[in-house]
Amino acid sequence: MKAKRPAPGWLWFGAPAAIALVLPLLVSSAFAIDIFIRVLLFAFIGVAWNLIGGYAKQLSLGHAAYFGLGAYTSTILLIRFGVSPWIGMLAGGVVAVLASLPIGALCFRLRGPYFAIATIATAQVLMLLFLKFRDFAWGAEGTTIPNLGNSPLMMQFDAKVAYYYIALALLAIGLVITYQIERSWMGYYLVAVGEDEDAAEAIGVDTLRIKRQIYMISAFLTALAGTFYVQYIYFIDPNTAFSFNVSVEAALVSIVGGIGTLWGPVVGTVLLEATSALLQSWLGSGHGGAQLTVYALILIAVILWRPSGLLGVLTNAYAHIVQARPAKREALIDG
Amino acid sequence: MAEALIVRNLSRRFGGLRAVQDLSFSVNEGETVALIGPNGAGKTTSFNLITGYHRPNAGSIAAFGRELVGLRPHAICAHGLARTFQVARPFGKMTVLANVMTGAFLHDRTMDGAREKAHEAIDFVGLSAKEHLPARDLTTIDQRRLEMARALATQPRLLLLDEVMAGLNPAEIDQAVALIERLSQRGLTIVIVEHVMRAIMAVARIIVVLDHGQKIAEGKPEEVMANAEVIRAYLGTGFVHGAVSGAAQC
Amino acid sequence: MIDTLAQAVVNGLLIGGIYALVSIGVTLIFGVVKIVNFAQGEFVMIGMYISFFLAARFGIDPLLSLFVSMPALFVVGVLVQHFLIRRVLALGDMPQIFLTFALSLLLVNVALLLFTADYRTVETPYSEVAIHLGAIYVPLAKLIAFGVAMALSGTLWVFLHSTDLGKAMRAAAQNRDVAMLMGINPDRVFAVAVGVALALAGAAGSLLMPFYPAYPMVGQVFVLMAFVAVVLGTLGNVTGALIASLMMGIAESLGIQFVGSDSGLIVVFLMLLLTLALRPSGLFGGWLR
Repeated sequence: MKAKRPAPGWLWFGAPAAIALVLPLLVSSAFAIDIFIRVLLFAFIGVAWNLIGGYAKQLSLGHAAYFGLGAYTSTILLIRFGVSPWIGMLAGGVVAVLASLPIGALCFRLRGPYFAIATIATAQVLMLLFLKFRDFAWGAEGTTIPNLGNSPLMMQFDAKVAYYYIALALLAIGLVITYQIERSWMGYYLVAVGEDEDAAEAIGVDTLRIKRQIYMISAFLTALAGTFYVQYIYFIDPNTAFSFNVSVEAALVSIVGGIGTLWGPVVGTVLLEATSALLQSWLGSGHGGAQLTVYALILIAVILWRPSGLLGVLTNAYAHIVQARPAKREALIDG
Repeated sequence: MAEALIVRNLSRRFGGLRAVQDLSFSVNEGETVALIGPNGAGKTTSFNLITGYHRPNAGSIAAFGRELVGLRPHAICAHGLARTFQVARPFGKMTVLANVMTGAFLHDRTMDGAREKAHEAIDFVGLSAKEHLPARDLTTIDQRRLEMARALATQPRLLLLDEVMAGLNPAEIDQAVALIERLSQRGLTIVIVEHVMRAIMAVARIIVVLDHGQKIAEGKPEEVMANAEVIRAYLGTGFVHGAVSGAAQC
Repeated sequence: MIDTLAQAVVNGLLIGGIYALVSIGVTLIFGVVKIVNFAQGEFVMIGMYISFFLAARFGIDPLLSLFVSMPALFVVGVLVQHFLIRRVLALGDMPQIFLTFALSLLLVNVALLLFTADYRTVETPYSEVAIHLGAIYVPLAKLIAFGVAMALSGTLWVFLHSTDLGKAMRAAAQNRDVAMLMGINPDRVFAVAVGVALALAGAAGSLLMPFYPAYPMVGQVFVLMAFVAVVLGTLGNVTGALIASLMMGIAESLGIQFVGSDSGLIVVFLMLLLTLALRPSGLFGGWLR
């Protein structure tokens, strides 16, 4: 299953991959690298969200639940048991998968806005729980992780660039997984569920099962991002870990960039983070609310004008300009 | 002959409305049966009950030896029953081919295998030329063809068609009838809900007539169409003494 | 002990009245327009700021400012429906959810830019006055708020059941297609529904000012309560939203009193999850009753 592409397949993977690999070597500013890392991380979270939210159209606004579970699992294992965050990362993923089962069982019985509200509620409940429980999870103050200097085995590095490549690797994993699913029977089933659940059931798609399966994968990946984030900023607390903003951004980047497409989340993240960086340099950081105001305006504009996201606009523009072909509408799945 | 579908004492209420009341009928393997009746008679509800979209309040539905009540629609499809919807529901974001492949994946999870089966089904309904068109760009009639191809791709033993002829002109009706006959020749058991009398008389061996959720007649086409109850249900008491002509569309 | 319980119940009931105004608005919009308005809380916030500025600049009592905030927000509602909501009606769940969500984000952050995060409060002659019913302490401002909220809810109920426009709204809520066939103009009905819902939110804001501070994110707390009440009371059911809101207020209050001062929200969320798990269609059935 390929989206109709005007250029050969390898170019679409090769070019961005090459750029991404050499980018940190060309740029030395720590500030810039930090931005790149955030872009990679949020693109990765967006890719994870896109599996369930973009393809299967189950609009989760509670993915922060898994982000936080991943972050806390690895941190608890690290601080209380001295376990390396590399292992903690995987453990976090497992915890997230286990959590996704009851959460999914509860939420997938609901459709449309009910589902969204339920997911918001589950993330909030987790936040509230972690705020209360000081004993094993440090409560509202959170905790820093011990600074072990440069210890690659404990996922701590002096060189910022190392974090860049880890984030890049995570994004690459997410994209590869998405790509493989997209072009398999599972991808078709997901889109079918996203388009029309009843019709999908009529042709033998076990919609509950497939939603559950993709949700598990999505939760696992999101949890990995959570661990990375803690390791990167050396701090965790419930408000950050289960932040509604994380849930929102996870969905936002895909919706703006292109829901249900491979590169949509990446495009969306680049756009939103670039806007954010521009705003910061124009307005300075004193203007609380300016950034989100712009995000909100972009989102409204996209919804009113191109609800399927901007990736379609970009590929159409490319087709139109470069190949003088008439523009096509949103992502098309062909046999 | 073995029975493909046995419906016994099926009932379903929605609030105060008794959509289906104590319905019983059976369909033999390889037969084509038509389910007819005035609007609101309970025909589509019966389909929804049989295919698992609603749970009956009472009664049983057995197909190919297995009780269907309580199964979810996907399991019923896996058991061999496929259906089309009254208003076609294509996966708009996918091409015709992708749509049908999604159906084919039920029995073959490989891309090549599913593609092959999909081609077969698409050829059968005559949509080959439009294979790569997005489903949302098809005409209504082509969307119905797509719906049927998609259902056929699941390799059903029993096919339930919900008003596939609505709005077709006479030439198109003939085409559709020919399709149904070919399916029947392949041994497929078919239940159609229809209003187009011409088509019904051409394909149906048995007609079951519903009115207000209840079965009011069942039998061979000629018998049923002369049945006073049936005439009254469709046309009112004043017409009971005349026979219903074969070309009339109710 | 009984006294503490009774006090908690009264506290909860009073604030429940405010929750009711917000949740009735949400459920009205959902019932008629079939959209979940994630931004409802922000219109409460706007109502609060309107009242704040009228009080600060002109010394107008917040209760009087109801006569400004309600019509103003009605107009805003009509505009929102006409320019935003109408455009996404045909698009399906996701764009609709994200539109009202984006609107919410926009309003909060514009407020942040314009007014900063500072708390704004209004002092009225009755802000500190309380009535004593036996051992129970009833703040006058809250009592008035509750009374007006119930009056507004009652008026809405009468409107929905006795006027042609109200009946048209209920008809559109139950079956839009048939309603259109009967000659009901959906745009007009939707505009009124959204306008009324936002006016109620504005009223909630004005009623809150005597005893609650205004700040950009104030709406988020109320909209959360509202959503739970709406789900509990059955989406689309106005009476259900009212009753459920009162229940939510009491539950939250009991949670704060007996479990812990930070446990109000947890209790509420657990109620939501329980409802969704056991009876997702809510406690009461049907549309726009």
